[in-house]
Amino acid sequence: MGNRQGMTTKHTRKAKPEAVPPSMNRPTHSEDGVDLTLIRWFLTLTPAERLDVLQQTIDSIMKMRGET
Amino acid sequence: MAKPRVDFLAILQRLREHDVDFIVVGGVCAILQGAPITTFDLDLVHSRESQNLDRLLAALERLDAHYREPAARGVKPDRSHLSSPDHQLLMTCFGPLDLLGVIGSGDDYPKLLSQSCEMEISNKLKVRVLTLSALIKTKEETGGEKDRAVLPTLRRTLEEKSKI
Repeated sequence: MGNRQGMTTKHTRKAKPEAVPPSMNRPTHSEDGVDLTLIRWFLTLTPAERLDVLQQTIDSIMKMRGET
Repeated sequence: MAKPRVDFLAILQRLREHDVDFIVVGGVCAILQGAPITTFDLDLVHSRESQNLDRLLAALERLDAHYREPAARGVKPDRSHLSSPDHQLLMTCFGPLDLLGVIGSGDDYPKLLSQSCEMEISNKLKVRVLTLSALIKTKEETGGEKDRAVLPTLRRTLEEKSKI
């Protein structure tokens, strides 16, 4: 059967399976409910960067509580 | 009294400027070791060796350290406090600081030293930090609800670290 331009529709190639994001190959949570993606992200940081994240977290919490 | 702005890095810098020997434990230790948790105080186990107590007292003076318990507010820690195995719960100009004589099942600085590692946490600032496995062990020994609550995250962090 042709399309509107009269061209014959070719047999559709089988679509390539979508590439699975790396994170989908591993569980996102442990059996006891721990968010493993958060751990994996944190482990990409240096100790200095981890301390900085803690500092920013505390600062934003204090700000939300109106204590800054 | 003005509320201090929490700055754990500043506390650690001041202590190192005074050559104080200590090991970072507790929540900040867990964070430095890669566990994504939050804490509002800095826990340290300090050496109770005599000269270190002198250095520590000097650093605490610079940090304007005093007991944070309202009933004891304004009281500063002295040598007898810091030489005991007890926990000194202080407030400094950079936030809460807990100086712990012993942790877990009675582990003090000399015993914990072999279970710690030196870590660079900013430019030219190196501190000793308890290993994650040792931190998990002390929390298992303490067994309080608060410590048990964070154990799953610490254990999973240790597992993920082993895969790197």
